[in-house]
Amino acid sequence: MIEKSINIEDVLSLPLDPKEQKKAVEEKVPCVAEGRLKVYDPNTNNVKKFLELLQSRLNRSVVGSMTACVHCGMCSEVCHYVLARPHDPTMVPAYKGDQIRRIFKKHFDWTGRIIPWWVHAGSPKNDEDMNRLKNIVFGTCTGCRRCTLNCPMGVDTAILVRLTRGLLTELGIVPEGVFVVSKDQWETGNQMGVTEDEYLETLEWMSEEVGEEIGDPTFKIHVDKEDCDFMYTINPREVKYDPRSIGHAAKIFYAAGESWTMPRWGWDMTNFGLFSGDDKLGAFVAKNLYEAAKKLRAKRIVISECGHGYRSTRWEGYNWAKYSQDISSESVLVTLIRYISQGRIKVDPSKNSLPVTFHDSCNIARSGDLTEEPRWILKRVCTDFREMFPNRADNFCCTGGGGALSMVEYKPLRMEVAKIKAQQLIDTGAKQVCTICHNCVDGLGDLIRHYKLDMQVVQVLDLVANALVVPEKKEEK
Amino acid sequence: MAKVMLGGKEVEVDEDGFIQEPDLWDQNVAIDLAKTEGVQDMGEKHWKLVNYIREYYQKFGIAPMVRKLCKDCDLKLKEIYEMFPSGPAKGACKVAGLPKPTGCV
Repeated sequence: MIEKSINIEDVLSLPLDPKEQKKAVEEKVPCVAEGRLKVYDPNTNNVKKFLELLQSRLNRSVVGSMTACVHCGMCSEVCHYVLARPHDPTMVPAYKGDQIRRIFKKHFDWTGRIIPWWVHAGSPKNDEDMNRLKNIVFGTCTGCRRCTLNCPMGVDTAILVRLTRGLLTELGIVPEGVFVVSKDQWETGNQMGVTEDEYLETLEWMSEEVGEEIGDPTFKIHVDKEDCDFMYTINPREVKYDPRSIGHAAKIFYAAGESWTMPRWGWDMTNFGLFSGDDKLGAFVAKNLYEAAKKLRAKRIVISECGHGYRSTRWEGYNWAKYSQDISSESVLVTLIRYISQGRIKVDPSKNSLPVTFHDSCNIARSGDLTEEPRWILKRVCTDFREMFPNRADNFCCTGGGGALSMVEYKPLRMEVAKIKAQQLIDTGAKQVCTICHNCVDGLGDLIRHYKLDMQVVQVLDLVANALVVPEKKEEK
Repeated sequence: MAKVMLGGKEVEVDEDGFIQEPDLWDQNVAIDLAKTEGVQDMGEKHWKLVNYIREYYQKFGIAPMVRKLCKDCDLKLKEIYEMFPSGPAKGACKVAGLPKPTGCV
């Protein structure tokens, strides 16, 4: 796995490319015209705006992470960017954090006034400096928070990265991919621009497929049905490109005799606000979902397999939207455990006999504390489960986190640092890597192809659906 | 961004291998793109799918949903994954000369 190391200057000097932003302005896209989504304006004083915004965002957890770093270097021992490029100081989480810390110290902290040379206080001078900052916070960190857990001072570098991303998003100094996805999510309520008709048609299609499989032509995925036990929410990738997971979920819910529905609006549980640092977008998307559950009087919200969607919907969204947590939410894994432990579904592990390992998604394990549930299920639906090391909250990022998949310009660096993850996968000796995040599916898929590993990515719903014993009719496989 | 030889001409591709100038796309480019996707032989069904995606994109400026692909090309979802192992988004759309789909893919 020896690869040519890329020159980091090529990454840090990538220019701002506001082509899509210009197009959106010309087309008068409402979220841009109304100022909800900002575009880059070269004729304004962006540095001044940046500093004003920074001042308005300072709170206890941010200031704690701004002031507490003692540069001990513990973070460098856990970051996959550093481990893969040990010769490169710009990969160190403390370095990345310092790029915003120095601005904070220069303008808002007493140390910057008294001993500026000691704390390296400094300020961005122009838009070019801020573009470089963009490349650091969007291009060299996936916000996986592995360094956060390893910091003896409690510094959360990912908070600083997200904060900086958010400030730059307010100035339109963002990668094209981040702008486009944010725009789609503002405009259509989902990050892939799926229209309502397309969404409903796909659900109908999956209803037919599942109906055929279980031998019940009347089977239907209900939309906007009131008073169900839960409202199921998904990642738009499932509708747009790979609805097999919707079919799998539907088949399992059917076998368990569940009363469930999907909402017509508010079905996207992903949230690009987490990645772009835009709390307003975060609030908009999360609120769509919470309001849908309230309107349908669903008893709970079930979140399909998605890392950042889980974190956003279950944890962060309520803060962004300032919404009270009246309706409880859970990962679909918790739902599956209920079915298996109560005997509502029967599974046959011999259906999944390939050696399978489990990849903990950062936003679910490290930031969501859901670590034992997937293992509980996998041990019941597979015959050969192998642990990956390190695992649970210590696991390495799939290298596609933090919205990295939508920022293609940083892919060469991403693939280079993925060698850490690739080695971790190889060491398991497994043929399948299971994850509970659609983003990890593509992140892992990219590196498996890049490093030519003999491995396939699967999800928990795939394995459970495959192992499901449908009593009325003999199994199809 | 890099320039690579596809179908006998120099074409700019992004870091994921999606071509940047849709106008340069032709059958030979598609055949070479397919090879990068592990598809050695573009059969009749492959062409039907790729041409459909391309026409849809030219008309609507967006990649079609997989539902539309299956219905209008008369394919099962499973078949698409067999034909293009990376799936409709990263596989078929790339061969059809579309830009990289946006979002978590």
